[in-house]
Amino acid sequence: MTPMDRAVLKAPRWGTSVVAYLFAGGVAGGLGIIAALADPREESGRRLRRTARVAALAVAAACPPILISHLGRPERFLHMLRTFNPRSPMSLGVWGLVAYSGVAGIAVLKDDDGLAVVQAVLGAFLAGYTGVLLGATAVPLWGAGKAHIPAASVCSGIASACALANGLCAIGGNAGVSGKLERFERLAAGAECAILAHFAATRGYGARRLVERVAPALAVALVAGLVHVPKRRATARTLVAAAATLTAGVVFRKALIDEGKRSAREPGAGMRQPR
Amino acid sequence: MSETGFFTDTTLCIGCKACEVACKQWNELPSDGFTFTGDSYDNTGELSGTTWRHVAFVEQVAVHPDRPSPIVEKWLMLSDVCKHCTNAGCHEACPTGAIVKNEFGSVYVRPDICNGCGYCVVSCPFGVIDLIDPIDEDRKYAVSTLDEARRDANMTALQGDGGVAGKCTLCYDRQKIGATPACAQACPTESIQFGDLAELRERAAARVETLAARGVEARLYGADDVGGGIGALNAFFLLTDRPETYGLPVEPVLPSTRQPAGYAAAAGAALALAIAGWAIFRSR
Repeated sequence: MTPMDRAVLKAPRWGTSVVAYLFAGGVAGGLGIIAALADPREESGRRLRRTARVAALAVAAACPPILISHLGRPERFLHMLRTFNPRSPMSLGVWGLVAYSGVAGIAVLKDDDGLAVVQAVLGAFLAGYTGVLLGATAVPLWGAGKAHIPAASVCSGIASACALANGLCAIGGNAGVSGKLERFERLAAGAECAILAHFAATRGYGARRLVERVAPALAVALVAGLVHVPKRRATARTLVAAAATLTAGVVFRKALIDEGKRSAREPGAGMRQPR
Repeated sequence: MSETGFFTDTTLCIGCKACEVACKQWNELPSDGFTFTGDSYDNTGELSGTTWRHVAFVEQVAVHPDRPSPIVEKWLMLSDVCKHCTNAGCHEACPTGAIVKNEFGSVYVRPDICNGCGYCVVSCPFGVIDLIDPIDEDRKYAVSTLDEARRDANMTALQGDGGVAGKCTLCYDRQKIGATPACAQACPTESIQFGDLAELRERAAARVETLAARGVEARLYGADDVGGGIGALNAFFLLTDRPETYGLPVEPVLPSTRQPAGYAAAAGAALALAIAGWAIFRSR
């Protein structure tokens, strides 16, 4: 063992709370996009918009407590609000979360088409910035995925949001939108698969190991969404498929953090850093 | 105020670790516990939130067929420290404004502002900054300090603030009263030189020439731009081997330079899915 064999870098000091935050941010953001896409010309679309907006507000409201659990003390969250640093995705992200929560709250209260585009744009930011945040670090795996991880985060967030909205609509008796939500979910999950496959095939730094960890959960989620069942079992199937997709979203974030830690502490990690 | 920094000349380092000790004492930094690394005389291992100078030992042995035992061919020592980058990854990443550039051009962490988010830890291309655990039973600081509250809690100043990021301050407090940073003050061979950056760079260039005249091939690391968007380092080094031999990154990259690609990819994915989603949800 010489200095040359050691890792130059420090491992992320992030655990469960950060995994939960990355996931929740993706879901909250994705729900904002779904709320904007829901067709207000139809009753089922308006009900979906309402469901997505209420869920978006609820998940966004859960984000600060998750961050506080990471930071240890509630007032530490406020330290982030004493400054605005556009060079830091974390600073931008906190302000994005604040803005998104505000818009999500107004959208729930007003329940019209007004803020749809604003909420969708902020939602896309909320779902994607966590990926940018990871890419803009010295952690080799995350740095190598500077484009793949943000894109896959957006896709995963939208897929998870579709699953959650679909589950809530199924429980709430709004089965009319289920087909559209499932198609959109499959599209997003499929795009996520393609992006991750490209990541594994073209980048080093443990990208392959990351994708191998995520692949089974994604495969289960995609298959669960394709299983045909009798109509009386439709709600149960929707809930199972939704749970599978949400699980895949958590697995993706968990694998990102775990494999990021590993890549930062491998022998020689950081000697040559991805551009 | 002109910028100050460290010029660490590895050819003069004798591996005494006086810098490590002086830094620990002055900055009230607790022990990191004893770990046997099996790596030469280095059980410090690496820089951490509570180890701000680290003497790396590069002991290269070779086996000669005509000798009974391996001989040390090369024994290099380097006192590693925060590089106080011109464009510092930790400084850019900090979401609270706790990490600042002070009037001496050093990168300084304000422990009362830091909220322990840990983003700086992963944003340092040199793996320098780390979080200090709030209270770790194994690392309790046995020696009393002037602050009674801290003494009663067996905590150092930094531990008292709980779970904040820690790294070399370039002895901001000592610099403020015109004193030399503790490590440079304690260094018995002037391997660690502190002073005005422009003057240090001149001195370092002259040292490379002096060594060249004596047949020693030396190079500077960080006196000029190290590439990757980081710029020059306010704590730079004179080496007689390749950087990686000392555990210094060959191609460090400023992590924030990857942001445009990230935002573009996220926006592209969101836009593409939104258009497809529009077709799915709005079709009659």
